[in-house]
Amino acid sequence: MPTTLNPVEVKDPDLDEKTVEERPWVVIVWNDPINLMSYVTLVLQKLFGYSLEKATELMLDVHQKGRAVVANGTHEQAEMHVFRLHEHGLWATMEHDA
Amino acid sequence: MAKTRPPVYRAGDRYRLRISDDELALIRRLLDELRDLLLSDDDGSGATSAMLTRLFPVVHPDDPELEAEYQRLMRVELVASKLKSIEAVEAVIDGRGASIDEAQLTAFMQSINSIRLVLGTLLDVTDDPDAEVVSEHDDTAEYQLYSYLSWLLEWTVRAFSGE
Repeated sequence: MPTTLNPVEVKDPDLDEKTVEERPWVVIVWNDPINLMSYVTLVLQKLFGYSLEKATELMLDVHQKGRAVVANGTHEQAEMHVFRLHEHGLWATMEHDA
Repeated sequence: MAKTRPPVYRAGDRYRLRISDDELALIRRLLDELRDLLLSDDDGSGATSAMLTRLFPVVHPDDPELEAEYQRLMRVELVASKLKSIEAVEAVIDGRGASIDEAQLTAFMQSINSIRLVLGTLLDVTDDPDAEVVSEHDDTAEYQLYSYLSWLLEWTVRAFSGE
């Protein structure tokens, strides 16, 4: 009987998977040529409670840099944010926080 | 010269639309077309597909599996939400000038913008100031309609913002 475990049999993928799963998600709004700048600002204020200044700053990032992270949270929270942005017609995606 | 009221404005803690019967009839027709589009079967190609993609953007562009899962769970909900907004706007139009609340104005704003997204996609609207696409379209009925809806949406945003 061996006195040590075969290292091949030792694996603990659960920890890594859990870490990946728990990494926060970010919600991204992308620039598009159709949505009005004033409209995007209002939607960001309405959905996330941002001040006019903060919402305008994010809208300008979207417009000038092509995208902006507008919210973050768990997978479920990010999905709900994306859904509400899509209800308003904004072009939103979500991805794991870098 | 008397100051004319805008097409959408705040009235106390509610809102009012000041839109002619002809324009309301036009908006109703556009809502019908939007409803037909939302309920259409996407054949995965052509203009219909492009318009639907803009109304239902890809959420996980780098992960087909997550994307399929998201669309399976949320697409139906999003269609239902957009149809509910259309119904709310139709009720507002039928209300013939009655004041409306924030939820009704939100539905109006979402539906008008959905129509703009469809029209803008169809017209291939661009925000590139050097592009000539807009000038090629700007004398067409569709582009005039798109401009009218943009004007209406801008006033809706102002009403919400208390301007």
